[in-house]
Amino acid sequence: MTAPSSPDQPWPVRTVARKVADWIGRLGEVWVEGQVAQLSRRGSATVFLTLRDTAADLSVPVTCPRDVADRPGAALTEGARVLVRARPDYYVARGSFSLRATEIRAVGLGELLARIERIRTLLAAEGLFDAHRKRPLPFAPAVVGLVTGKGSAAERDVLVTARRRWPAVRFAVRHCVVQGPSAAEEVVEALQRLDRDPEVEVIVLARGGGSVEDLLPFSDEGLVRAVAACRTPVVTGVGHETDTTLVDHAADVRAATPTDAAHRVVPEIGEQRRLVDGLRARARALVTARVEQQERWLESVRSRPSLAEPERLLAGRGEEVAALRTRATRTLTHRVDLAVRDLEHARARVAALSPQATLDRGYALVQTADGALVRAPDEVADGQSLLVRVAGGRIPVRVDRQDGQP
Amino acid sequence: MSTPEPAPTQSYEQAREELADVVRKLEGGGLTLEESLALWERGEELAGVCQHWLDEARERLQQAAPAEER
Repeated sequence: MTAPSSPDQPWPVRTVARKVADWIGRLGEVWVEGQVAQLSRRGSATVFLTLRDTAADLSVPVTCPRDVADRPGAALTEGARVLVRARPDYYVARGSFSLRATEIRAVGLGELLARIERIRTLLAAEGLFDAHRKRPLPFAPAVVGLVTGKGSAAERDVLVTARRRWPAVRFAVRHCVVQGPSAAEEVVEALQRLDRDPEVEVIVLARGGGSVEDLLPFSDEGLVRAVAACRTPVVTGVGHETDTTLVDHAADVRAATPTDAAHRVVPEIGEQRRLVDGLRARARALVTARVEQQERWLESVRSRPSLAEPERLLAGRGEEVAALRTRATRTLTHRVDLAVRDLEHARARVAALSPQATLDRGYALVQTADGALVRAPDEVADGQSLLVRVAGGRIPVRVDRQDGQP
Repeated sequence: MSTPEPAPTQSYEQAREELADVVRKLEGGGLTLEESLALWERGEELAGVCQHWLDEARERLQQAAPAEER
């Protein structure tokens, strides 16, 4: 900041002028209402007028660019009551102050707004704006209908933004006038043409910002009814965020701006891809986890002793068999021994009973043919064949009594 | 014990159920030698079936792996 001024250190005029300009600039943008006086359109680019206070006897000079002044809604005539949106301006060269206007509205504007309000209440009463009429937008439309001014910023915003988000989208564009008396019908005609086209899945109405008059066609009853009657979902991106036109109420979706409309009609491709990849990975992980869990289960079952070491089954049996075998053999040998001993006894007894020993001592046995033993001579008859058994064997004989003794 | 080469007729769940049952029986004991041998053989066969299905699942997962993973 410059040092404070004083008689011996005075400020030059330029510093004072600049400071005054700063102070004045602090007021910022204002809306002011007043009456037009001393209107002069002499200047080519700029129009000068004096704005007089409607009540007090005060006035302030106003300058505004020619196009602001010529705008239909301004209805700038001597004595007209107007609403002016302006910024304070200090013309340093000549040290003159004035309000620089960026928008002038004829107070008559009030009627315009009133008219729009009447239409709104009428159509609202007919239920044209009811929430249940609103249709959901298609997720990723192949063809998007676009009604907008030819080569307008709105058109560029919608096309560029939508294509960046979803490169596959195609547009069916219908250009038309978006301001002035014929605008409404042209928009209706374009809208209906796109509505009839089966390929068009959603229609965007896009228009840049503008004054109430500029946007007036978008509150035209005919156009609003046409929007409500559309079978294809309609998205409106008309004016700035703050502006609301009646078509916004009738549309299925109201976007704040043309760019926002593009965001509403097409998804963002990167985001969708991430979503899909995420789901895919999760599904894969779930299945893999399931398979791993089952593999662990199978592993545990297979390691159970009853499966892993079958020989264990046999091992036990082996010992049993061996044990049985030894017991069997033991009992067997025992029995055999007994048997042998019995045999010997028997044999001994047979030997004792058997005549053999006697025969060996030289005795002999005489048997009849039928095997009976002869113990007395009278038991046999003459000529009878007999068998004499001696130690060495048997001798067949016949009785021959020499002297006829019985 | 050879795992059946052609795709097993049993589904994985059936094979798993029967295998669990076989193991329960084997562990329960009270079987003749012949029965336990037969059961053991059946167990091995069932384990083969389960293994087959799990290997196939792994394989199919691998095949379906997204391009960058392969």
